[in-house]
Amino acid sequence: MKTPGPIALLATMMLQPSAAGTAQNTVFSAKVEMVRVDALVTERENGPAVVGLGPSDFEVYDNGVLQQVDLVSFDEVPLNVILTLDMSDSVAGERLDHLRTAGAALIAALKNEDQAGLVTFSQGVGLGAPLTHDAGRVERAIENAAASGDTALVDGTYAAITLGESDAGRALVIVFSDGVDTASWLSADAVLAAAKRSDAVVYAVSALSRLKPEFLREVTSLTGGRLFEVEKTAALGEIFVRVLEEFRRRYLVSYTPRGVEKGGWHRLDVRVKGRRSSVKARPGYLAGNSP
Amino acid sequence: MRRLALFLCVLLIAAGVAGQDIAAGVAGQDAPSPRRLRQFAEPVADARLDRLERWLKAVARHAPGVADPQANEVGGWSQPDLQSLWIDVDVLVKSMRNPGILRFSITPPGQRTPQDILYTKPQLQRLKTLACAAIGLAVDPRCVERKAATGLDADLLRLASLAYAARTGGDGDNFVLRRGALLHGDVAMLVMRTAVEPVSTSRSLGPQRFRMQLSDGYQTDFGQQAVHWEIARMVLDHVKPGSTDAAPGPDDMIRQWYRATGAWMQAVEEHDTVHLNRARAMFPADPDILFLSGTQREAYAAPRIQIGMRSAVLADGVKFDIASAPLELRQAERFFRRALEAKPDHVEARLRLGRVLGLLGQHADAARELRQVVGSVDEDVLRYYGELFLGAEEEALSQFDPAFAAYQRAAALYPAAQSPWLALSSLGRRRGDRAEAQRALQHLFDLPSSAGGADDPWWTYYVAQARDVDALLDSLRRPFLAQGEP
Repeated sequence: MKTPGPIALLATMMLQPSAAGTAQNTVFSAKVEMVRVDALVTERENGPAVVGLGPSDFEVYDNGVLQQVDLVSFDEVPLNVILTLDMSDSVAGERLDHLRTAGAALIAALKNEDQAGLVTFSQGVGLGAPLTHDAGRVERAIENAAASGDTALVDGTYAAITLGESDAGRALVIVFSDGVDTASWLSADAVLAAAKRSDAVVYAVSALSRLKPEFLREVTSLTGGRLFEVEKTAALGEIFVRVLEEFRRRYLVSYTPRGVEKGGWHRLDVRVKGRRSSVKARPGYLAGNSP
Repeated sequence: MRRLALFLCVLLIAAGVAGQDIAAGVAGQDAPSPRRLRQFAEPVADARLDRLERWLKAVARHAPGVADPQANEVGGWSQPDLQSLWIDVDVLVKSMRNPGILRFSITPPGQRTPQDILYTKPQLQRLKTLACAAIGLAVDPRCVERKAATGLDADLLRLASLAYAARTGGDGDNFVLRRGALLHGDVAMLVMRTAVEPVSTSRSLGPQRFRMQLSDGYQTDFGQQAVHWEIARMVLDHVKPGSTDAAPGPDDMIRQWYRATGAWMQAVEEHDTVHLNRARAMFPADPDILFLSGTQREAYAAPRIQIGMRSAVLADGVKFDIASAPLELRQAERFFRRALEAKPDHVEARLRLGRVLGLLGQHADAARELRQVVGSVDEDVLRYYGELFLGAEEEALSQFDPAFAAYQRAAALYPAAQSPWLALSSLGRRRGDRAEAQRALQHLFDLPSSAGGADDPWWTYYVAQARDVDALLDSLRRPFLAQGEP
């Protein structure tokens, strides 16, 4: 994480003439239309990852319409890893120690070209560290984080998703919480809608005892990530590193939608041709400015 | 805005069980025989009357609003002691009003058959003497006839003198009742805040109070708590406004007491449904009590309580009066509407009504109420809430420009608050403007509050309704502080 790595260009530019323009001074507006989908391909559900696939191996259906896959990247695009940590009252003590250790393990597992950032949340949201190649800065921010207050899980997740998109690269959001939301301003629905519009993939670790982490289940499902439910936090570092390794084995599948309406919810179905395999990817995306 | 120390970490809900009623038998009946004493459930130990006497002395000596030795002494009494005291004080008041009564019974909750409270003859005589002191001795010929004063020590004579002065000042025999309520309120607020005992399996006829503590959505404690609020409410139920000949009923001091203590409970998030139920029974059209009832139900609908209730582990037979979020919101709506009927310019009730309507999905109605609020309110914190909530309702109605403007106005009112910037970022994303979403989020990250410093009034929304609690308590206590020595 010392120097910026190469940045893959994943968006195509479609040039459209302005209706008001003249032949001589035509104004063009540029619009990014490309859709990119992070997909984990395994031999079976939770089985070993399948590697070595190219664009011709994938079939992507957008609202049931087969699309032309333009590009498939594998372990080439640097990561933007947003560690998103619950710093509410209930984390104080041993859990906070575990979180610090786990955070350090995750940072150590990043490559030089990856970036990391830290978002914390209690009743408010804090930027512990912006996206940076400076691993030490993120580690120090994790070390300095203190626990107090209620849990604005929804707000924190929103901030992390948005931060993840602020730079080129693949956004991996890792959320840890031992509670359910008690303090957010944003509604869960608003943030789930934001997640549907986002390329970020959200993984989450929930250490709830008697409650179901409904929001985290939904946001991980909508973004093609995964939810880990744990009783103890002692092995949190292993989970964080496992998430990172799993994310690295994902393909970044890109296509330009054709034959489908532009706005609204687009149902996605990603398949691998000619082999029995399991594909884990987000179930769709939201386009346009509909709610 | 007033900062509340326990807001972030402690949330309390208390279930008072005070449905008991003590019946008084007519004069002329003899004290029960020893055989009856064994047969019935509630024989009275002499220690109980010793405690009742100490209670009367504490009532007379206590300085309202101060955690003085009297408040600390009463605060040190155990839960069973206070359950018995509840019974004995009630009996005392009945004896004050009718010295001829010799027999008392109590009907425990859930039972039809009353149980006698069995005072021995000497105990009854002592009770009558204490009652004489509590009403001011000289006013009742029977007290004079009984030479009650000869059985009183200096403290009780002082009490009698104070009670007499209150009576001659036009407050009938209410001295002990009003002062008793102030004492127990102070003990609950100043001395006994968080003390919880394990749920008792002992059989007692007095009221019980259960307390569940929630923190960050989790139940962190559950147990039984001393019944100070129950005793306070009970003695106020006996107040006869202005005259000993009047029927017991509410007056302005009682209204102030419920308003101030109800606000205090919300300020520290010790929610007690029974407290406001009793207040409304006494003051059904009081806009402030209706408003507090609405804010209590609004708080019950909030995730921090709803989630806590889902995971709560309670004792058998204990149930807190908290329904699902939509039902609680409906109740809140009804209370806010009633508050507005009683006082149409109650801007804070309208603000909360607007928010509740929005949460119930009635966005157009909510926006209409909130527009009225932001157009009329002067206080910054209420305007902030109004703009923030109005922005959310405009957004729900897909009125993105007005929503943007409302969030901007909220941000201008409290520049260090996070919530408007979260709202602006999310709105930017909804409009397809990712750059705006990023800009607003970056602004949020740059706020001093990101470093844990500044306030966002949204974080204190569920206690903001009680921001004037200190003034309310001062106003309640002031007349009693002014009462001089006899």
